[in-house]
Amino acid sequence: MKQVFKALALTAAFVSAPVFAADTAEVGKPAPAFTLKDEAGKAHSLSEYKGKVVVLEWTNPECPFVKRHYEAKTMQNTQKGFDAKKVVWLTVDSSSTHDAKSAAEWKKKEGLSQPVLIDTDGKVGKSYAAKTTPHMYVIDAQGVVRYAGAIDNDPRGKEATKVNYVQTAVDALLNGKQVPTATSEPYGCSVKYKS
Amino acid sequence: MTHPWSKRSGSRLGGLGAVGALLLATVAQAALPSTAVGSTAPDEGDPRLEGALLLDATQVKAGGDFRVGVRLRLDPEWHVYWKNPGDSGLATDVAWDAPGITVGDLRWPFPSTFRTPDGFITTHGYHDEVLLFAPAHVSDKATGTLTVSTAVDALACKVHCIPAQLVLSRTVPVGPETVLDAEFAPRFDAAQAQVPVPAGAQGAPRVALALDGTSLTAGKPFTGTLTVTTADGKPFAGNVEDDFFVPGRIAGVDSVTLKRKGPGTFALEGQASSVVPKSEPRLTGALRLGTKATGFTAVEVDTALAPVVAAAGAPVAGADPLKVPSVKDALGKVKPAVAAAPVAAEAPMGLGLALLFAFLGGALLNLMPCVFPVLAIKAYGFTRMVAEEKGKVAPHAAAYAGGILATMLLLAGAVLAVRAGGNSVGWGFQFQEPLFVAGVSAVVVAFALNLFGVYTLGTDGTALAGKVDQSHGLLRSAGEGVLAVVLATPCSAPLLGTAVGFAFAAGAATVVAVFVALGLGLALPFCLLVLVPGLAKRLPKPGMWMERGKQFLGFALLGTTVWLVWVMGGLAGVDGMARLLAFLIAVGLGTWLYGQSQGLEGGRRGVTVALAVLVLVGAGAVALRFEEAQASLETRGAVASSHGGSQPWDEAAVTAALAAGQPVFVDFTADWCLTCKFNERTVLSRDDVRQAFLKHNVAFFVADWTRRDARITTKLAEHGRAGVPMYLVLSPGAPDKPEVLNELLTADSVIQAVQRAAECGSPLKGGSVVCARP
Repeated sequence: MKQVFKALALTAAFVSAPVFAADTAEVGKPAPAFTLKDEAGKAHSLSEYKGKVVVLEWTNPECPFVKRHYEAKTMQNTQKGFDAKKVVWLTVDSSSTHDAKSAAEWKKKEGLSQPVLIDTDGKVGKSYAAKTTPHMYVIDAQGVVRYAGAIDNDPRGKEATKVNYVQTAVDALLNGKQVPTATSEPYGCSVKYKS
Repeated sequence: MTHPWSKRSGSRLGGLGAVGALLLATVAQAALPSTAVGSTAPDEGDPRLEGALLLDATQVKAGGDFRVGVRLRLDPEWHVYWKNPGDSGLATDVAWDAPGITVGDLRWPFPSTFRTPDGFITTHGYHDEVLLFAPAHVSDKATGTLTVSTAVDALACKVHCIPAQLVLSRTVPVGPETVLDAEFAPRFDAAQAQVPVPAGAQGAPRVALALDGTSLTAGKPFTGTLTVTTADGKPFAGNVEDDFFVPGRIAGVDSVTLKRKGPGTFALEGQASSVVPKSEPRLTGALRLGTKATGFTAVEVDTALAPVVAAAGAPVAGADPLKVPSVKDALGKVKPAVAAAPVAAEAPMGLGLALLFAFLGGALLNLMPCVFPVLAIKAYGFTRMVAEEKGKVAPHAAAYAGGILATMLLLAGAVLAVRAGGNSVGWGFQFQEPLFVAGVSAVVVAFALNLFGVYTLGTDGTALAGKVDQSHGLLRSAGEGVLAVVLATPCSAPLLGTAVGFAFAAGAATVVAVFVALGLGLALPFCLLVLVPGLAKRLPKPGMWMERGKQFLGFALLGTTVWLVWVMGGLAGVDGMARLLAFLIAVGLGTWLYGQSQGLEGGRRGVTVALAVLVLVGAGAVALRFEEAQASLETRGAVASSHGGSQPWDEAAVTAALAAGQPVFVDFTADWCLTCKFNERTVLSRDDVRQAFLKHNVAFFVADWTRRDARITTKLAEHGRAGVPMYLVLSPGAPDKPEVLNELLTADSVIQAVQRAAECGSPLKGGSVVCARP
């Protein structure tokens, strides 16, 4: 009976209703909805990207792990590898001490193109249970979280061969396949939430 | 010898407390050579972390033991991380390079727990000061001086974090005796006292976990009770302080906490991850029992939790949490979410029926491809006896039946033992173990060689020379019974699946009863020959054809090894197959030598037998090392490709396919399951069957149970089964009512089931169709 209900609910959702947002991010479940302003003051809502794969990257430009990945161009190259028509990359900064100005400076210094969303009060970060910087999420075209965790399998930056989990997840989604690694242990600094 | 920078798991200090830290801080840095100390983690020009390479001896002796360690001192409010850093951070990594010294695993003192002020982020690590150390063993040949180097890779954090890397080095002279360092040896002892001892080790407290339920459900909380008893068996009566439990990193579990309930009992609360892990999670971590006033005992916990199963109905494909009240109200009878626990209460049969099914199933097993060769051999031997030694027929039948029953009881015992250990098993589970497959292969080859006359069994070769009954002792009859059971397990005959499934979900007595019924059924055809007098006389008369027939049957048995070698390929890859074949040749050589010995006397015979044993044991020791083949996905892929268009089974993918309006066919199979392979080759790969699948747009899933897979075991149990094959057909119109097909498929049955599933209606087209299965 339960499955019947779920199948019907699912059908109803596909046919008529938008995807309902959940309270917390969990792989296999709809991503929590949010609207945040970027460093230029432009508002971004998750719902406006329905139909595209969305990559969320939690950042803190001062964190050594983030610095390392931007120096090694991990983030830039991963982003560049995606078809911009199908994939949206949003960087989120939930550090309590950061604002639009600091984000704009960081973007300029690194020459970044993606929007950096400002989440100074940490509400969105906490709704995603984002705990480290970097902490990555991949959301499919229907708004369901399909990957949560680290950018790759190389916390110490020493491995010769790396697996880029975000790249793998996005590629799988675009090819209609199942994401091979749906979760991994994120590594890095803690998110500096307001407390 | 250690390898340069050999990885020894991380380190942790912590918990020494401010007093200890102060004391330690008084240790003169000047006592250490300049290469053995360093500072790192520069923060605006000010280093936050100081490290020192410490040894607990000033001189070591060749072949002796000592300890090596890294002392980390941190500025106030800064910390480094434990082996499980928690929600963020990075485990401290200590690598060693010490030629002439073998360095053991890093010892981690019990860590402190850190929380952000809002409690959102929890981490584990060490502040102030910690000594991370490892046991070290000096090579027997060491002379002169030895150099110990260490590389520390840590992350030091206060609010922000700074990576900290240190490379430290020092030498120690080798002398006639190990001389302890009066200053540092006590520091090592103090750190040692903080290191958790494994629960259940001698003198250590014991830990037992009782989980509320037989499985965890993905994405759902779970609870249980942890009981701690002291080494002398009494409940641990003392108290504990805050953060007395630090969990390890547990794949498949998001969080786990312990709360003290009463003396020696702790309430366990956890949350399973939303993604089902590949293997059964274990509860790992460290407990610190006691208080500052009473002193502490740190205990390392590592105990099985339970398999994680997908949530009931597991609609991961964008389905689960969709709350659509209107639909819910319309249906009006949504069941509460229940864990998909193995079905016992709902098993649709009584004990009597189960026993009958087991008995009939056992009898039918005789006709399955696995057992048939044994039965044929038995029938042959029987023919011979009937003609020549009528009086001995009944004892041989009894021995055969006895062999079968004894093995069945052994199997029942094994099932109960494994189940008591908290694992779920299925019929044929032992074929998931490479060594078992190798053992069965060896027995089969040895048996075949016996039929070829390479050696004789169960009697003394010289004494019996010339006797008609040479190759047919009672022992051999019993052995044939054992072999019949062993070979029968991968063939789940019709009826058997249901009966054994029932038994596995029931109590110990039922398990034994069902297995005995199964054994009686298996022994039935042969015993019938004895019990029905007229029947025996109808068998053909013995003659020279029997000797040829016997040897021919030897080849039939050898055919079985082809299959076993193939099974090994699935378990341990091409290497495993080669190792098995090499071992089987040694078995051939060993049995041949044994055969030779049967013609010899006295000392020469002893020598030859010893040589045979040596060959067997030697080859076994060298060859029987099987490593699990690559990722199980590879095998699954291979199985999947054998019938095209299929995909590995996954509860979420099934739900997604159903939600998309596709009927679903799930093939629960295993490489060692001959019935499965038979069905796949003769039915599932037929053109008309494939076309029916295409026509109805059926999603074909393969659940490969060749190796242990708790998800599949659980799914089998849900349908009252304990083994493969099992075939499920699910309709998008009634996804909760899968149709379970017969173990022996026919093309018609598959086509019709698929058609029914398709006609049952796709809700995409037909709206709110609820389809009751006829």
